[in-house]
Amino acid sequence: MRHPWFIRAAQRMNSISFATQVLQFIVTGLTVGAIYAMVAIGFNIIYNVTEIINLAQGEFVMLGGLVMVFMHVSVGLPLVPAFLSTIFLVMLVGIVMDRLGIRTIRKPSVMTLIIATVAVSIIIKGVAMLLWGKSPYDLPAFSGRTPIQLGGVVVQPQYLWVIGFLIVVAVGLTYFFNRTILGKAMRACADNPSAARLVGIDVEKMVLLSFALSAAIGAVAGMTMTPIALMDYDRGAMLAIKGFGAAILGGLGSFPGAILGGLLIGLIESLGAGLLLSGYKDAYALIILLAVLFVRPSGILGNLQVTKFKRF
Amino acid sequence: MLDITKLSVGYGAIAAVKEVSLQVPQGRVVSIIGANGAGKSTLLKAVSGLVKQKSGRILFDGRNISDLPADRIVGLGLSQVAEGRQIFAHMSVADNIQLGAYLYYSRRNRGEIRERIDHVYAMFPILAKRAKQIAGSLSGGEQQMLAIGRALLTRPKLLVLDEPSMGLAPIVVHDIFHTIARLNQDGMTILLVEQNARAALRIADFAYVLETGQVALEGPAAKLINDPKVKAAYLGG
Repeated sequence: MRHPWFIRAAQRMNSISFATQVLQFIVTGLTVGAIYAMVAIGFNIIYNVTEIINLAQGEFVMLGGLVMVFMHVSVGLPLVPAFLSTIFLVMLVGIVMDRLGIRTIRKPSVMTLIIATVAVSIIIKGVAMLLWGKSPYDLPAFSGRTPIQLGGVVVQPQYLWVIGFLIVVAVGLTYFFNRTILGKAMRACADNPSAARLVGIDVEKMVLLSFALSAAIGAVAGMTMTPIALMDYDRGAMLAIKGFGAAILGGLGSFPGAILGGLLIGLIESLGAGLLLSGYKDAYALIILLAVLFVRPSGILGNLQVTKFKRF
Repeated sequence: MLDITKLSVGYGAIAAVKEVSLQVPQGRVVSIIGANGAGKSTLLKAVSGLVKQKSGRILFDGRNISDLPADRIVGLGLSQVAEGRQIFAHMSVADNIQLGAYLYYSRRNRGEIRERIDHVYAMFPILAKRAKQIAGSLSGGEQQMLAIGRALLTRPKLLVLDEPSMGLAPIVVHDIFHTIARLNQDGMTILLVEQNARAALRIADFAYVLETGQVALEGPAAKLINDPKVKAAYLGG
């Protein structure tokens, strides 16, 4: 007979102390959350410039992982060149996506463009299956797999890489969008496209750039997560759902919101699966997401006025 | 400087502008007046490249700009302050102004950009005071100043203003027109589209009256302001 969760939790406590266990779940949750946060940031970049929800965002992550496996394991490039060439290739996919899948659509509305991103995601997934097959691939961890023991908590070195890259991406993007003229021009397109044209900003170029940038960040997420969670052709959709959930939870369009939302969803998922029923792992975060949206439709850090102002 | 010949613009089957020809000579203020729906804004959108014309030719500085996209036309020195204060509402005042320099923004031009920004701040001290504020939080008049300031950063040779008085209090309208007149004294060529005919004719050298998409009347502004027809239709008798 299966005991209720609290008895099982109590039984587990016999072996390791409960507090250590919770800490372990938190560490794992933050790592997974950092991945979701990067996916959410990818969503936000394209959304902020175009108001499109790019549902192929998860495919960028999947491609990042598999292309990295190809470059690093199959071709045998050293870590750094493999990393950079993977970013480059996935960015190229993002650029091609914009050129062929988005810009060619006649009389585009936000809704038709979102449907187009679904089509692109199916195509990318199909091609990935043809190229890599259906089995999952492993990637060597960036700096070995000897765990770091902190008290009773086990920290994989790769966890630190994931969180580190989230910090780099967040700081880099904050600088880019607030301090550089190109970043400001991208924000201007989102703010008022016709005014942007009147100061000489090529809006189409900025849209292209947003796809390239999103793809690059997706690739980083995919490359850093593969040594922890493996990667196969079919992972994109679930990553996109979690990342989108994180973006909505934090407030669509907000970068601090994406990070907060991602980490929260990762934490809820990890603690829920560890302390309650692990079978509902994918449901916990989405339940919390719905609950938050009932109370705050614009997300935690979202601006309701901005949300109303947007067309979608 | 700007030479428009037989320009027609339309949305679908309806022609909003029909065979309009007009000239803006260098150093002058030329005004287009007319009622709501006379085709004034459509005409300007065609000039700045935001909408495509059906037929006709637009020459700017001797160059045919009829088929250029809006972001290229700005680079040639034709800058439009669009109707309804088209600012970047979620960005700061300083960022709005800085984006005016987008096309030539580089380390090499930093000095020039700084100078132009200082010039705008000197012209509109209130903008300097509110530089860090979000542009959407400014009053209507301040937003209009910001839109003009940003346009001045694009290195314009011709400044095109679409209804700068729209929705503003009379005292603010006075300030804005005073600014436009001063810009012209400093050498700027200006094309001004207005419903507020009295204010526009007062600072213009030459004016065109647009009615249902066609030029109904044209002449020196000083003459039009005393024209009985204009008086009756646009100046409230």
